[in-house]
Order: sequence, then C-alpha cells, then structure tokens
Amino acid sequence: MTDFLASYDNVISLVLLNGILGIAAYLLLIVNRFSLATGGLMAIGAYVSVLSTQNLGLPFALALLLGGATAAVIALLLGLPVLRIEGDYFALVTLAFTEIVRIIALNWESVTGGALGIVGIPTETQTWHLALALTVLAGAVYITRRSWIGRVIDAIRLDEMLAQAIGIDAARIRLILFVVSGAICGVAGGLAGHLNFFIGPSDFGMTRSVDAVVYAVLGGLNSIFGPIVGALIYTVLPEALRFSAQAREIVLSLVIILAVLFMPRGLISLGGVLRGSFRPGSRKPAPLSLHEKGVPAE
Amino acid sequence: MSNLLEIRDVVKAFGGVVALDGVSASVTAGAITAVIGPNGSGKTSLMNVITGFYRSDRGSVKLDGQEIAGLAPHRIARAGIARTFQHIRLFEGLSVFDNVLVAAERKGLKDAHARAASALEVVGLTAFAASDAAALPYGHRRRLEIARALAIEPRIVILDEPAAGMNATEKGELGALLRRISATGKAVVLVEHDMDLVMDISDHVIALNFGRALASGTPDQVRQDPQVIEAYLGQTSDDDDQAA
Repeated sequence: MTDFLASYDNVISLVLLNGILGIAAYLLLIVNRFSLATGGLMAIGAYVSVLSTQNLGLPFALALLLGGATAAVIALLLGLPVLRIEGDYFALVTLAFTEIVRIIALNWESVTGGALGIVGIPTETQTWHLALALTVLAGAVYITRRSWIGRVIDAIRLDEMLAQAIGIDAARIRLILFVVSGAICGVAGGLAGHLNFFIGPSDFGMTRSVDAVVYAVLGGLNSIFGPIVGALIYTVLPEALRFSAQAREIVLSLVIILAVLFMPRGLISLGGVLRGSFRPGSRKPAPLSLHEKGVPAE
Repeated sequence: MSNLLEIRDVVKAFGGVVALDGVSASVTAGAITAVIGPNGSGKTSLMNVITGFYRSDRGSVKLDGQEIAGLAPHRIARAGIARTFQHIRLFEGLSVFDNVLVAAERKGLKDAHARAASALEVVGLTAFAASDAAALPYGHRRRLEIARALAIEPRIVILDEPAAGMNATEKGELGALLRRISATGKAVVLVEHDMDLVMDISDHVIALNFGRALASGTPDQVRQDPQVIEAYLGQTSDDDDQAA
C-alpha cells in the first residue's frame, strides 16, 4: 500500500490541488459567473510565495498566506470593474487577465526569470498539506452553503433580479466570492509552486483556468463534492490513458460530452442513480444560466 | 393619513418612447392605492422606477421624506419597499419555505424562521412549506410572491397585477388578503386591470394614460372622471360586453 501511494504520489497531489482549483471555479459558477481568471490568480500566488521563500527566506506557511493575500487583492481590483459584465464577456475578460499575467511573467525576467522560470525551489509542499487544505476548504464551503449565505447565493443564481427585489446586494456578494476564490487560487498557486523544483509562465495559463471550470461542471454544481469528484476523474483519467496520446484526447473529450449530455447535474448525480435514491425532478439542476433575465417590460 | 411615498414629475423615456411623462402621485400608509390604466400607460414602468429597476430621467421619489430615486433596487427594498412581479418570479429550485426565509433573513437572522412561517400563514400556504416552489399551482404561486414580499417587513407592498389569471373566488380571497395587509398599517400599491377588484377594495385610485396621471381620487371620483371613462373604463366595459 505504501509503495502504491509512493508511486502515485504525484497523481494524488495533482488530484488534491485540482480539487482546490475546482472549488475556486465552483464558487463563481454558483453565482452565474464563468471565470477564467483561475490561472492568472494562481500564477500570482505561485510567484509571490516562491519569491518569498526563495529570496526573502520567509517560512512556507507565511509565503502561502502572502501569495493568497496578493491574489485576493488583485481579484478585488479586477472584480470591481469586471464583475458587472455578464456571460461570455466576463469569461473573455477574465481569460484576458490570465493571459496578461502570463505575459508579464514571461517578460519580467529580473523577477520571474522569464521563459526559463524559477528553478531550484524548495519542495515544501507535502501531500498532506494539499489534503488538509482541500478538506478544510471543502468543509468550510459545505457549512457556508448550508447557512443563510447559501440561500443568498441560491437566490442570486436562480433569479438575480428577484434577489435584488428582496434586498440582496448581488454585486457585493459576487465580489466577495471572487475575492475568496482569488485567495484560494493564490494559496493553491503557492502550494503548486512548492510542489516541484520549477515554475514557469506556461504552468498557469489558460488551460488551468479552463480545466478548473471543467472539474466543477463535470462533477456537478449541486454539491461541494462535485468539483472534487470532477477533479479526481479529470486528473486520473489522462494518467490512466498515458499509453496513447490520441486515445487520451478523444476519451477525455467524450467523457465531457457524455457527462454534459446525460448528466446535466454532473457526475455526482451518478451516485444517486447507483444508490437508487435518484428521483427525477425531485431537485432542480443548478442551471449555468449565462444570460440573466432582464427587467420585466410592461 | 400622511403620505408615505411621494412621486413628483417622474419622467422616463426609452429612446424616443416616453413611458412616463411627468407622473406625480402619492401613497398613504394603511391604505390600498390602485394604479390603473390601459396597456402601455406606464403602470409597470412607474413601479420599476419606484423600486429602482429603472432609473428615472427626471423627477423625485421620496419614501417618508427620503429621496430614493436613483438608489439600487436592493437598497430600496431594504428601505422598505417590497414588490411582486407581473410575470411571477419565484426562486424555483428552493422550497416554498426557503423562498420566504431568504427574504425574512434580510431583516436579521434572529427569529427569521418564525417570521417566514408567519408570512406563509398570512397568505395561507403553511401546508405547502416543504414543497418545491416550482411545483405550486398558479394561484398559490401568486400568494407565495406576496408572502415573500411581506417577509422583508416592508412599509410599502407593490403588487403588479396579482389578480391576473385568477377566478372570482380567488380574486375575492386576494381582496380580503390585501385588506388584511393594509390593516396592519402597510401601504398596499395595487397595479391591476380588474376594475371590479380595484373599485371594491381600493381607498385611492390613480389612473394613468400615455405616461401621465389622468386622475386621482377615491374609486367613485375616478370612476366618474370623464377622461378616465374615455381612456380606460369605457373600453373595459366594451370588452366586458363583448366577453359576455
């Protein structure tokens, strides 16, 4: 068993890390925002924390916090003007942000090492760090979703206009979630940065952002376990398919297509089917409505 | 009776279409104020201006002396104006109880469950508390909207065509419900097409046409206003004749 764990340690770390990123994306998807800022915010957290440990000699935990805090502040500055944009445009703007961060990392050679990246990073991140972070995060989100805050989030997702009509400041709640999500991405970036000896600009690009959304949507948005299950499947499957590069892409794409077609509530709804407790229509899916309802006309 | 809501010279245009062309009106606490008018006369636009969903081009809306024109909808809701929508809006996917609870919690978490339960009781939906809001029959959905509006403990409740699609019995029950609500000291603003209901339960009627207030007064005064008869009531009785 220990041999097994040792040989798959990398994959396990990756699953845990991706689970964290999946939750970061999930926190915005549940208020109808399709954010592709994950990669950029993660890069900020990674570079800040890696430079803190390497150049400033800060303790690892403090460096993680600093990375998370920096990403949170950037998320606040980005979110203030950008969160009011809806649908496709929001996705595009956050994608542009991730690209901008990547380009800065690529060209600011004196700090980031440019395309060569930063090498010789102390590999401080242990698998249990990631496991602990994911568990604490999932627990916190689970408890929050079941509290009054969860109802407020549901209200915004289901009908933003109606939510405003009962006194909910949807823009503020969304900004808070964006900042929290940014902090999570930042810490995740710090953990990812100290996982290997090396970080470079291409580690935190658009693919990271898209994958994080895939984890959440594939797994399902009705439960906090959705993004985690999604991250597990979508991380382990490519590893299992390593023998063939072509088969890998095809099978992965098929999994997404089939999951979206037949399990609009995500892979976790499969658990209910298997247990026989699945009641069609008993619970509405959480629709990814990218277009909100407008003001009613006369 | 003091004027809880004062609307002065509100203008709202969409491109070249003037939806509200200098509307002035007032709403008093503890009374039912009906807003009537033909389709396109500006009733819903006026409600959207009052509740902040439209920003007026000009004019003032004062709640208890405080200017609220230009505030965001959630601020106006918190200031004490609740509304329902012409096309029913519910949080479909939440239970009936949670639909009301999420509104009650805007007034603080303490006792929110009890306040939500009592709002459901007022509209007679206690038995349906655990149902999915999406599964409610039509008349119940209308009442759930009213319960949700009451749950934020507003001073003014704006109801946009609550009787639409209701039969005579349901309309009678709705009228009684609105009277009970206004008897608690709240101002009820009723946007309604059903003249029988309006004339039956309103204390005050405001008639709009082409974005202007044509007439304002007691149901009898407005009923006898020649302009109103010309613009609206006359048509309605024609429609009724045709329907019969």
